[in-house]
Amino acid sequence: MFEFSELVKRFEKIRSYVRDFYIYGFKTREDYRQKSSRTYDNERRRMESWFSGYIREEYRPDRKKSVSITVDSNRIAVNPLYQAWKSKSFTSNDIMLHFFLLDLLRDGIARDVEAVTDGIYESYQVLFDSQMVRRKLAEYVQEGLLTVSQEGRKHVYALSRDIPIDDAVSAPLADAVCFFQGAAPFGFVGSTILDSFRISNDRFRFRHDFLVHTLEDEILLPLLTAIRENREIQLTVRSFRSVVQRDILCTPLKILVSTQTGRRYVCVHKTISRRLVSYRLDSIQSIQLLETDANARKHHGAYERNAPAAWGVTFGTSRSPETICLQVLLNEETEKHIIHRLEREGRGGTVTRLEPGVYQYQTDCWDASELIPWIRTFTGRIRSFTCSNKAVEHRFWDDMRRMRELYHEE
Amino acid sequence: MKLFSEIYNCYYQVVARILVEATDHDLTRQKISQLAETFGYQESALTIVPGLLQGDWQLLQESPSNPGHYTSRLKHTPVMPLTGLQKSWFKSLLDDRRICLFFTDEELDRLQTWLQDTAPLYSPADFVPFDQYADSDPVASVMYRQHFQTILRSIRSHQTLKITYYSGKEHLVSHTYLPGRLEYSDKEGKFRLYAFYWRKNGRWRMDILNLGRILTIQETGYHAENPPDIDLYLERSLNPEPLVLEISDERNGLERTMLHFACYQKTVEQLEDSGTYRCCIYYDNLRETELLIQILSFGPVVKVLGPERFLRQIKERIARQAQL
Repeated sequence: MFEFSELVKRFEKIRSYVRDFYIYGFKTREDYRQKSSRTYDNERRRMESWFSGYIREEYRPDRKKSVSITVDSNRIAVNPLYQAWKSKSFTSNDIMLHFFLLDLLRDGIARDVEAVTDGIYESYQVLFDSQMVRRKLAEYVQEGLLTVSQEGRKHVYALSRDIPIDDAVSAPLADAVCFFQGAAPFGFVGSTILDSFRISNDRFRFRHDFLVHTLEDEILLPLLTAIRENREIQLTVRSFRSVVQRDILCTPLKILVSTQTGRRYVCVHKTISRRLVSYRLDSIQSIQLLETDANARKHHGAYERNAPAAWGVTFGTSRSPETICLQVLLNEETEKHIIHRLEREGRGGTVTRLEPGVYQYQTDCWDASELIPWIRTFTGRIRSFTCSNKAVEHRFWDDMRRMRELYHEE
Repeated sequence: MKLFSEIYNCYYQVVARILVEATDHDLTRQKISQLAETFGYQESALTIVPGLLQGDWQLLQESPSNPGHYTSRLKHTPVMPLTGLQKSWFKSLLDDRRICLFFTDEELDRLQTWLQDTAPLYSPADFVPFDQYADSDPVASVMYRQHFQTILRSIRSHQTLKITYYSGKEHLVSHTYLPGRLEYSDKEGKFRLYAFYWRKNGRWRMDILNLGRILTIQETGYHAENPPDIDLYLERSLNPEPLVLEISDERNGLERTMLHFACYQKTVEQLEDSGTYRCCIYYDNLRETELLIQILSFGPVVKVLGPERFLRQIKERIARQAQL
């Protein structure tokens, strides 16, 4: 008979479920037709178990139940989605050996496999197969918990040297981990340090925090390795609008992070088209590291030359950038914050005072359509908006007309 | 180094907690269950308790003189050294420009020495926060670092501080505050201090101060015995009426809005056959203007249905635009 377990073997199995439950939250069992009903029920039960306290259940008018993870990221000490990283399944031998090995080797004496196996039996009265102990020791060397050295013809194992944290730095170190577990890439690693030292984060909260990024970390790590080692890669990317997947040969250059929209991208040099393109990390299904790209430095140079004219993540298809010009009206006595907004949010564009109460913002960028959402935030004070790409300009004014219809012509 | 490893498993953490307690004194089944329920997932106790007490995980032993009571088989209180992944992550932080807020230069040198043989997990230079505001806090400035470290120390010890700062209206203000918590915004690259001010009527008032606007900080030497609960104050600033939106799936509107507003507490439902979705966002009154601007950025893909005050503001801006 099938026995339910809260734990899973592979992270990618639960990645899309957690994302769906957190980002959308309105889907019901019937929306997961590509999976069996039992699979959905098990995954839903796991989510309810891992994220209890953040789960919301609702019945729709057609009596179908939707389950979502809902949380205000500004009110929480630690990202609850990190729980997904702490759900790896294990065997009884795994958990026993974990505690026995770390306990036995606390005395600082390096031991070979036989001595470890005998030591465990003598100290804890549990007998393990020495091959199993050997595998676990090798695994813990890989994880950095143990060190291995040669003594005569034998390999001997000892606990890794820990960071000699003294009293002077222990408090600031705890503060730093509390902060960076929420503010740095791979924050879940920081949360495991909080777990190990039983520290709770009561000092920091995070505004505009996109908790869902943690689900992309398994994709992010090999991308960073490829960037560091100038390697070419093969990405398998899935479109959000369809289930179509495609493989892309490229060299990754930078991770582009939007602190406003919650999206992260990898900017790559595509091998075949020889263009700079960005892919969302949450669209990447898998990544395969290939050989070193001898031209990687040249691609980085191309990125550095093109990046100043990129408003977002698009590097455009034309040779020359598009020009945008925005004029806004403001009261210089009471609305100085609008000038500050143009300066701090304008990403290098120029701000000019044309006359009292009229300011102009102008910039060149590869894809002017990327600026439109920002331009719309000045609705109510836009005196003029022009763009060298007339399609973008027309779309902007057409959207303004539709906004009027939406609210004033009901 | 694996990211997804059982070493960081929630069950291991729960069992470690149980073993810590079982090193000092006997534990009953009830106490073991209680620890598993408190620190595990919702259903973890159903696996952990039988695992520990019915022989599969032979980490506890029943006391021969006191049946039904269990002690640890380990010789020491369990402690896990930092793993390679954890050290590697911390090594990356040493290249993060914000690390100097937490340590003195001398302490940073010591940390570099301790981790000299560790390769960083990533380089902050590989990440480009392309839409971060240009006026982020000057975290490397000597004064800013001093203010930050004094505030952190005082949060830990509940010490009040005399703070002089420029208010949003550019007035120079000075008050004695009890610092409660720091908030960081990646979008703005700014820290804010949530602090309490003792009013003449004998009640606390919570203020939010931008760290970048603080001019001076003086430690008072006075430590509050019963600091107020910040979450309680924040709860009061939550708008009782959620923002209600109708979202069209045109231009991938649903996916874009859901991701954008994922950091808010919200509910979403699909409206029958119309291809639109109704979303309720629970927001803080302090963030209303910011939310208004975010909504406008989506254009005609998102329509505000309520609350009335919010809707009025949107309509006013659109009407004003129509007149230009």
